[in-house]
Amino acid sequence: MSVSVWVLCPSVLWLDSDFTLTENTLDCGLGIAALRAALNTKPAFVLRGLCSVFYSNFMHEMECRVLSIQSHVVRGYVGNKSASFPLQVLGFEVDSINSVQFSNHTGYSHWKGQVLTADELHVLYEGIKLNNVHHYDYVLTGYTRDTSFLEMVVDIVQELKRANPNLVYVCDPVLGDHGSMYVPENLHPVYKNKVVPVADIITPNQFEAELLTGKNISTEKDAVEVMDLLHKMGPDTVVITSSDLPSRLGDRFLVSLGSQRTCKLMPDGTKSTQRVRMEIPKVDAVFVGTGDLFAAMLLAWTHHYPNDLKTACEKTFSVMHHVIKRTISYAHELAGPGRKPSPPQLELRMVQSKADIEDPAIVMEATVLTL
Amino acid sequence: MECRVLSIQSHVVRGYVGNKSASFPLQVLGFEVDSINSVQFSNHTGTYNVEQGYVEEFALTQNPLRPSGYTRDTSFLEMVVDIVQELKRANPNLVYVCDPVLGDHGSMYVPENLHPVYKNKVVPVADIITPNQFEAELLTGKNISTEKDAVEVMDLLHKMGPDTVVITSSDLPSRLGDRFLVSLGSQRTLMPDGTKSTQRVRMEIPKVDAVFVGTGDLFAAMLLAWTHHYPNDLKTACEKTFSVMHHVIKRTISYAHDLAGPGRKPSPPQLELRMVQSKADIEDPAIVMEATVLNL
Repeated sequence: MSVSVWVLCPSVLWLDSDFTLTENTLDCGLGIAALRAALNTKPAFVLRGLCSVFYSNFMHEMECRVLSIQSHVVRGYVGNKSASFPLQVLGFEVDSINSVQFSNHTGYSHWKGQVLTADELHVLYEGIKLNNVHHYDYVLTGYTRDTSFLEMVVDIVQELKRANPNLVYVCDPVLGDHGSMYVPENLHPVYKNKVVPVADIITPNQFEAELLTGKNISTEKDAVEVMDLLHKMGPDTVVITSSDLPSRLGDRFLVSLGSQRTCKLMPDGTKSTQRVRMEIPKVDAVFVGTGDLFAAMLLAWTHHYPNDLKTACEKTFSVMHHVIKRTISYAHELAGPGRKPSPPQLELRMVQSKADIEDPAIVMEATVLTL
Repeated sequence: MECRVLSIQSHVVRGYVGNKSASFPLQVLGFEVDSINSVQFSNHTGTYNVEQGYVEEFALTQNPLRPSGYTRDTSFLEMVVDIVQELKRANPNLVYVCDPVLGDHGSMYVPENLHPVYKNKVVPVADIITPNQFEAELLTGKNISTEKDAVEVMDLLHKMGPDTVVITSSDLPSRLGDRFLVSLGSQRTLMPDGTKSTQRVRMEIPKVDAVFVGTGDLFAAMLLAWTHHYPNDLKTACEKTFSVMHHVIKRTISYAHDLAGPGRKPSPPQLELRMVQSKADIEDPAIVMEATVLNL
């Protein structure tokens, strides 16, 4: 559907744009999209006054640079492929170091490619440093299989933090899921003792949260205690992306929890902690790359809502919902009725979800836990 | 839109050349981009540390539309040709977009032995090429001093294979004076009666007082996109493509000067393309220059 939008602003400047609307952007998205296009394509000075009335801060030109150290696949969306486009679409500068280059993710029948060694990672970082451009606002990492590579990542993060003490390290501590590890066991102590202590935001699943803290999660209370233990290890923001806790909405839902220690101090001098809980609809398919997209989007939305984990989570989980819904719908079309979609068919519909990434309609609410 | 591009180009950690320059804009325009990184460097070699004295130009390879870009190695280039040929057997409608990067301003900046590979193997399987004047002359063995020469060179290039040729920049004198350079394009299409008709266009492009890296890669990617949307209308495809380039470059140079400060020449890091910031221009470029259709 193609719509022409005209915006008349006080100084009699006509603007027009053609938009393709998805069903998610019909209401306020229309106005926002028009203003966004107007800001970027016409002399903006007249419009900024008008738009700032309507707009939150994220349409001012953002200067935020992310260093993302993840896998690259030729085809499909995992690692850097999953993280870069959405972050760029949201206005982040993304510098990316590809830890591997594979034809596709390893869930396919076949995969081929090359890996980057810890030394090669170091060489690339040195190149950036030599040019004195090693100033980052964020570092983002995910799936790694090699302890020396991971240790090199930690060295790099520490050095970057010395260059910019405000740097935020977003880390997905990928260890395993559903009770078993899917990386070499010797990565566990490296994450526990070296990586997590320098991380600011982590996105473990239940298994990883339990493994890192040595404590099991059977109840919401357990989960809160585990997140507090994780805070003690370093990160001020923890999101347990999925758990087996029973959802209030029944067994078609899973529970995610988040916890953020803020700078606000309680009367007794301790840090105030906001804890949230979300009921997430389960999807009957195995996706790859969703964890990477999640970490990237949590980076983006905590950037825009630094002291509001509730909103950051609602935005992040909502984006995931839109992308996954579009993906599974398309995958079923490709596979045909009654047939299970294959890994290539289940590749995230990333490019097609651009509008949802830019401005996700909130489709789930986070409950703030009062404890 | 279901359009999948295979892009075989360089990757840089920081900045915008090669795949970094091509992927985001194509994705923003709705293309699926599969990217094979021919190298992984910290940043481009043309500007940061002056290890080498030239500017790298990378192009994309795409599937079905493929730009191919900067390569320094004949065996790599020959492998690219093999892959293109195999992909064309799988999809005869595949369009190979190739930037035949050889050099500029009278001298080669890749090894000389790439020249015969481009001439004899690559260009013959390409559908769209984006040479500069030097590369067009080198590939055809004919000099360009007048517009007539340029048209003849483009016809020679058509004979070699590609139905679409854009000479991205030339030394021809512009009608608008010396603050402008001349670009030319030529597209052969098949008429219903079986004959071939050729549309030729000319554009006067404002010169910019800076050295950019990655612009050739962005150009090839955007030409891919806009010829995809306007397959029989080179005039419009060129207007869109050159207009995007204009918006991105203008934003970049403006920001670079802000960073450098008054009276100071911006550095290479400061001149990195403002790609992410140009998203709206990429999605829907306002047309800021007109292509003249040549009547010949």
